[in-house]
Amino acid sequence: MSIFVIGYYAALIAASCLAAYYKKHGAFMLLFSLTLVSFIIGIIGGVPALRAVTTFAGALALAAGTSYAFKEFLILISKPALAKELRTAPLTASFGMFVIFTYAIAAIFAPWIAPHGESEVISSAFAPPDENMLLGADQLGRDIFSRIIYGARNSVGLALVATLLAFFMGAFAGLMAAVKGGWFDQLMGRLADVIMSIPSLIFALLMLSIFGTNLGVIVIVVAVIYSPRVFRLTRAVAGNIVVMDYIEAAKLRGEGDWYLIRREILPNSTAPLVAEFGLEFCFVFLLIAGLSFLGLGIQPPTADWGSMVRENATLISFGDITPLIPAAAIALLTVAVNFVVDWMLFRSSGLKEQ
Amino acid sequence: MGDLTSLVFKRLGLGLLTLLVVSILIFFAVELLPGDIAQAVLGQGATEETVNAMRQQLGLDRPAPVRYLDWLAGAVQGDFGVSLVSGDRVSSAISERFINTLFLAAYAAAIAVPISIVLGVVVALLRNTLFDRVANVLTLTSISSPEFFLGYILILYLSVKTGMFPALASLKSDMGFFELLHRTFLPALTLVLVVTAHMMRMTRAAIINLLASPYIEMARLKGTPPWKVIVRHALPNAWAPIINVVALNLAYLITGVVLVEVVFVYPGIGQLLVDAVAKRDFPIVQACCLIFAATFILLNLMADVGAILTNPRLRHPK
Repeated sequence: MSIFVIGYYAALIAASCLAAYYKKHGAFMLLFSLTLVSFIIGIIGGVPALRAVTTFAGALALAAGTSYAFKEFLILISKPALAKELRTAPLTASFGMFVIFTYAIAAIFAPWIAPHGESEVISSAFAPPDENMLLGADQLGRDIFSRIIYGARNSVGLALVATLLAFFMGAFAGLMAAVKGGWFDQLMGRLADVIMSIPSLIFALLMLSIFGTNLGVIVIVVAVIYSPRVFRLTRAVAGNIVVMDYIEAAKLRGEGDWYLIRREILPNSTAPLVAEFGLEFCFVFLLIAGLSFLGLGIQPPTADWGSMVRENATLISFGDITPLIPAAAIALLTVAVNFVVDWMLFRSSGLKEQ
Repeated sequence: MGDLTSLVFKRLGLGLLTLLVVSILIFFAVELLPGDIAQAVLGQGATEETVNAMRQQLGLDRPAPVRYLDWLAGAVQGDFGVSLVSGDRVSSAISERFINTLFLAAYAAAIAVPISIVLGVVVALLRNTLFDRVANVLTLTSISSPEFFLGYILILYLSVKTGMFPALASLKSDMGFFELLHRTFLPALTLVLVVTAHMMRMTRAAIINLLASPYIEMARLKGTPPWKVIVRHALPNAWAPIINVVALNLAYLITGVVLVEVVFVYPGIGQLLVDAVAKRDFPIVQACCLIFAATFILLNLMADVGAILTNPRLRHPK
């Protein structure tokens, strides 16, 4: 029994007693069941397992604290109407916003944050971390930490461009289909059906094998693959709006299609479209990361998270977690966007699950 | 009943039509190559004679629609032509790997389907409790992670650090069934993690939708015990969405399997496809794409037919 183990149980039991005394039943159940589970974990895994639990709980508490502080910060700096909305945000959503904010900072200020250039060879291959390199060197002796920072710019930037393109293509086609109807609607609908009936990764691989892997091709291929999703949603949302009386009135006034889309339909369908943009970004980001991992995405020497995982994967068989960091960066951003989207969907649909 | 079979056949016909259109797309996409296949494979430096010889060999002198019909007729009989790189028959390269891939997908599905349905129902019943919130965050994380991230984490902790399972899923022909299961456990587990998360969320949503309907409220108000509300009243109607969820996620497995096979160096069709794309070996790429797309369409078809069979309301489209 080390000091750590005694302290661990003492802290847990004290915290559960406090929770029970102040009638916080949820917190009490959580803390006390953690205590009981820790007995089993402690017996099986010993002190290291308990240390892992502590680290995990600490990280969770840190994340929760940061998100809470960030949410308060946002509430204070935003206008009253927006601040009222933000107050309803759950902690997960503000955590998501915090992560997105951090990534944006890293991407925009990459050359100032990163200590070395993205393709600058500064040491020997797979050199271990030292005071010059936070995470060590990759297979060519480039600083992994700098490459991760630059990766925020390249990987996220590419995904963002592809998403924007997919979104504009899909939303434009969807709005036109809803307004025009008839053969245009039918044609676009069938086209979307065909594209969606091929698994996205397979379709992307087929197209990239034909057109080669340069950035423009990737953006267009990915945009074409994911635009049918946006098309369907926009078509459905706009389809519900075009049958409204005020659209009829606008038509009778003699307004054109473009006016209808811009002034009548779009303002009434922003909420689901914004949420869809977030989801779409996640799909596109994961697809591009997958392609890069397969060596078919962004080509070296440009730093990119997906290909960094692939290049340094050999380190994993030596028990080194460095190659997992770029992969974790991908996962973290996707989770963050999903958290924010979850909240926005919940808010826009008024979906109150009883 | 005749009404029902005609509806199912109509859906099957639609699926077949989609497959046909997809096959046209897959075949003619290659025609979009600048120049043609022979030029693309041999590169700029090739002499006119070699390019012509290859054209002759591939039958490129015939018009594209004729070649398409030829290819389709071959594909239906399981003959996809000859690999451009190795010169072997594509079908022989694919057949064994396809079985491996199916085995991996089936292995993952056998674990994931029961777990995720049970967990999905439990989470739906315990909705808005702490357990539900934690499950929500965990499934969201698992969905958001790229497959290779989960795969490498599993390799790191279950293979490198503890040595419980092999990191590379290389297969030998003389392996026993249990050794096979042990060797392919990590790739299967990676797929299970991703698919379970999807299925749990979808099952939860389906069940919650159902529990909000008035007849469930009625059953509850008349004093039926909770388990009976679920088993007698909710579950018969829940089968349709659950079958749908399972089929859709099996279709999802088809794409997930490509990345997982590459991570674990598993000799399946996904890895073959990735290699072929890198080498620009078009017959193999086309064959793999067609097989993946066909499986995907078939599973989606099964989801629809299952929904029609279990939900009488869908039999009378408005």
